[in-house]
Amino acid sequence: MTETARTAPLVEMRGVSKTFPGVRALDDVSFAVDAGEVHMLLGQNGAGKSTLIKVLYGAHHPDSGEFLFSGRPVRIHSTADARRLGIAVIFQEFSLVPYLDIAQNVFLGREPHGRIPGIVDATRMHAEARRALDLLGLDLDTHTPVHELGVAQQQMVEIAKALSQNARILVMDEPTAALSEHEIGRLFELIRALKRDGIAIIYISHRLREVFEIGDRITVLRDGRKVASRRPSDTSMDELVTLMVGREVDTTYRHGFCAQPGEVVLDVEDLRGRSGVRAAHLDVRAGEIVGLAGLVGAGRTELARAIFGADGLVQGRVRLGGRPLAGGPSASVGAGVGLVPENRKDEGLALIRSVQDNLLVAGLPRLFPSRWYRFGIASRAVAELISRLRVVTPSPAQPAKFLSGGNQQKVVIGKWLNAGSRFFIFDEPTRGIDVGSKAEIYRLIEQLVTGGAGVLLVTSELPELVAVCDRAYVMRDKAIVGELRRADLTEENILRLAMHHAGEHAVPEAGTARGVSR
Amino acid sequence: MTPKSLLARATAVPGVAYLLVALIVAFSILGPGFASAPNLRNIGVQSSILLLLALPMTFIIMSEGLDLSMGAVLGLAGVTLASLLAGGVALAPAAVAASGVGLVFGVINGLLVVRLGIPPFVSTLGTLGVAQGAALVATDGQSVVGIGPTLPSLYASAWMGLPFSVLVAVAVYLIFHAVLYKTRFGTYVFAIGGNRESLTLAGVHTDLYHIGIYALGGLMAGVAALLLTGRMNAGHPTAALGMEFDAIAAVIVGGTSFERGNGWLPGTLLGVLTVGVLRNGLNVVAVSSSLQVASIGALVIVALVIDSVRTSWRERT
Amino acid sequence: MSTAAAQMARRRVLSGELAGFMYRVAGVVLVCVGLSLATDAFLTVSNLLNVLRQASLIFLVASGVTLVVLTAGLDLSVGANVGLSACLAAAAIKSGAVELGIVTGLASGTGIGLLNGLMVTRLRVPPFIATYGMLWVVHGITYWYMDGQTIYDFPERFRALGSGYLLGVPIPVYLMTACLAAGGVFTRYTIWGHQIYAIGANPEAARLSGVPVRMRLNLVYTLSGAMAGLASIVYLARLNSAEADIGEPLMLPAIAAILIGGTSLFGGIGSLSGTLVGAILLTLVLNGMNLLTVGANWQPLVTGVIVLLAVWIDVATRRRAGG
Repeated sequence: MTETARTAPLVEMRGVSKTFPGVRALDDVSFAVDAGEVHMLLGQNGAGKSTLIKVLYGAHHPDSGEFLFSGRPVRIHSTADARRLGIAVIFQEFSLVPYLDIAQNVFLGREPHGRIPGIVDATRMHAEARRALDLLGLDLDTHTPVHELGVAQQQMVEIAKALSQNARILVMDEPTAALSEHEIGRLFELIRALKRDGIAIIYISHRLREVFEIGDRITVLRDGRKVASRRPSDTSMDELVTLMVGREVDTTYRHGFCAQPGEVVLDVEDLRGRSGVRAAHLDVRAGEIVGLAGLVGAGRTELARAIFGADGLVQGRVRLGGRPLAGGPSASVGAGVGLVPENRKDEGLALIRSVQDNLLVAGLPRLFPSRWYRFGIASRAVAELISRLRVVTPSPAQPAKFLSGGNQQKVVIGKWLNAGSRFFIFDEPTRGIDVGSKAEIYRLIEQLVTGGAGVLLVTSELPELVAVCDRAYVMRDKAIVGELRRADLTEENILRLAMHHAGEHAVPEAGTARGVSR
Repeated sequence: MTPKSLLARATAVPGVAYLLVALIVAFSILGPGFASAPNLRNIGVQSSILLLLALPMTFIIMSEGLDLSMGAVLGLAGVTLASLLAGGVALAPAAVAASGVGLVFGVINGLLVVRLGIPPFVSTLGTLGVAQGAALVATDGQSVVGIGPTLPSLYASAWMGLPFSVLVAVAVYLIFHAVLYKTRFGTYVFAIGGNRESLTLAGVHTDLYHIGIYALGGLMAGVAALLLTGRMNAGHPTAALGMEFDAIAAVIVGGTSFERGNGWLPGTLLGVLTVGVLRNGLNVVAVSSSLQVASIGALVIVALVIDSVRTSWRERT
Repeated sequence: MSTAAAQMARRRVLSGELAGFMYRVAGVVLVCVGLSLATDAFLTVSNLLNVLRQASLIFLVASGVTLVVLTAGLDLSVGANVGLSACLAAAAIKSGAVELGIVTGLASGTGIGLLNGLMVTRLRVPPFIATYGMLWVVHGITYWYMDGQTIYDFPERFRALGSGYLLGVPIPVYLMTACLAAGGVFTRYTIWGHQIYAIGANPEAARLSGVPVRMRLNLVYTLSGAMAGLASIVYLARLNSAEADIGEPLMLPAIAAILIGGTSLFGGIGSLSGTLVGAILLTLVLNGMNLLTVGANWQPLVTGVIVLLAVWIDVATRRRAGG
């Protein structure tokens, strides 16, 4: 192929690195997008996609690297700089004001005015909003209050807002997550129209079908590094999946897998939660660590919370040790279920309270059946927990917020030990925790199951999931779509199950899972 | 407004208009003389002052806040006005001074809530105490009389059959309506309640407008003092205590909620009329004024419960 | 870790709070010193006992509200609650016996508290608004019931509850001490107390830890009402007369006492002993104002300013502590 004189990419970043305490989010990434190009950004959770975007639109400063705009070096120090360069991000959490109309939202902060600066020139505002909507092929009335619009339409308004600020580069983060098939089609038509106008689009998605349908170029990130850049015609889904996985786990997290699982500790039938999550069947036996895999938005946390009783059930049966589990968290805790939540600071701990108080709060009725709080008993229980879990803290009176992430997590686990739990749900237990503490956490989890408990483990860290679990369920679009036994538990198989678009034919549920050809 | 949004608006606020009509019908039947022209005029006059408070309260509630100090600030402004008038100061500068007192307290409220981050309930409770205390100290608990004929006669005047207070109320309503729906300030009132971060991200000085909302409340309390002092022919420090509660009730019954920047000014007007009709009607039916307060309290709670039920029902569907 | 170290740790738990407590006690001492220098009338036995009596009344009201504030809520209806309960009790005493009056007052207070609790837990009305609405409902009922009348002149043995002395100490002080002791035991030595602190510190984490949040919230609001009922009896006995507005001047001082005492509006931090010190400190300030013949009209103003200052300190401390 002959190279004619190439025009410079619209936006380019070279050698960008960004490190946060404890983790290298971006490592010498170079990335370029041409005008009129749809550039797909792929990668697992934590691969660096969102950091890349944040750096691009000025929310984070890179530690090193440079930016070029149409070949000229630029500095992006703030979101205002990014906006001025024409970079706009369409978030999943929209930036719209619900009870203002479309035109008001599009021009929020830039309202056109007549002679008196405070009074909005509504005629001109609506006329220009009308023009912006027409460009997108939207025939909505600009006087419609935004809260009356469907999600797809709100997204269009967001795009109109960005375009009306002369955005030349649109970043879309999982734009089709909440859209129907038909709406996705409309969005893609719009994207093609934008391409013709020379707008560059950076598109983050987990749906590989979309990658091939609308993408012009694909960049895969892994562990903060760019591992490949391809054209769709030069690659396949299998290759992309292989590129996305592949980090070696250099620590042995599990020492012995469960050969003989015991009695069923937890079983779930026909569950449908208020959040929309569905689970036809799920069970966990004593001695097993069962994983719950899937991509962000697949519904894993919703399912975990529904099982625990934190969110309501519309229908379904959850049984613990054969006995039905109904009611809220209070009943579950009393029956012996413990939830180590994804968001340990907001949901697992009371940060201003002491380690001691946090350790004991769930087990108070169990530790003090007479309901009298005895400091001696409390201190002894706490001391034993601290030593058994090796919690690093100057004293039990230390407020929990001063502990490191790993030790905070140990306190949460200790809380459930104190409460006498026999079934544990872990939701992202090693997120934000250093490698050394990760090993300790998994050691603790293994001790739990060898002691006869059952564990349901939700994690986005696929290498860890594969290294630790006896088997795993995979979720997609808020439902369980498959179960993988130990022999088939590989990252590739998990990702394949997790990434099919909802419109595809169903993948065989249990046992072997193969990649689906397009 | 599109037909769809009009219908949505109509079904979204079913309560207040129907409630008002129902109350009017009920009291007309139950109470002789309720539906007479002089009594309805009475309702209009009594509601005027409340409307002056309820309008800015609508903005404040839309911004997810509250102002409990309005009644006390009104009292203080009224006392200031009366004292100045009694001391021989002309009406215009005295009125400006009274409004200024209100404005100062409004700005203080705004600073406490927006800059210091003190929850509005507590901060305006504190300023309530301060304003009430200041008024009590200044007057030793007594009314300030001898304000001269200018203000009372202005208050008693009428234009084309409409009393002065009603005219003022109508004018203020029109101004607030224009502000909320036609100015940038009004747009930002919606935004502060609906999605404050996006407003700041758009580069707007959100804090300034937020404080302005509270300042407006204080200012209107000062303006309302003009009417109340004219009506009572004196300035009394505690005359308006509790009026903010009626104002809050009117706003909530009128359909404005504490979340998401949802506010409807015509609803506040209807709410004010509802409260006015309720009070007046209960009077005509010889229910004591204290039970009236109790029933308004119950009304607010019912309105809130309905509102929260409606929100959770809407969220589920 | 050995038990001895654990005990030392427990003492260190208290030391953070202890420091705050000591500062407040020092404040009390300072004000006392200042007042005794400013006027001779302060340091007399009768005046000091009066201060204690007055502080007891505020404390009785504020103690229940402290529990509510610990859960990050607020009970604004206590003033009106005291008013209604006192008036109902007064009428009951007049028509029946003293015992009937006491029961009526307690029942009325508890009932209002229970209603508050139900509004917050079942109807999901935010506590500030629920108790604010309740304030006006109760206020209205009280005024309607009393219809401008005053009920006065009660039997001597009833009045002793408020104005009497036992061994030279005013009886309300004994009630205050008993209430402090009971409340202290409740908050520190029962699991319910610990659960209440947990709810205030992080309601969602408490819920997910199996704490029955709704039941405990119902409990604290009911207790708050019950304490208002108790306070109404003592107040009635002290004043020897009941009018519709009897409870109104109590709400701001109660909140001020709680805030001065170090209980945080954001929940999870605070204590009854702090409220006691706050009540004493506030009463000293008001007493000083009285003795220095600063008009009674200044009191709401000063209390309001104190509330604002105390809340500001609370907000600033909380933000610095990152809680």
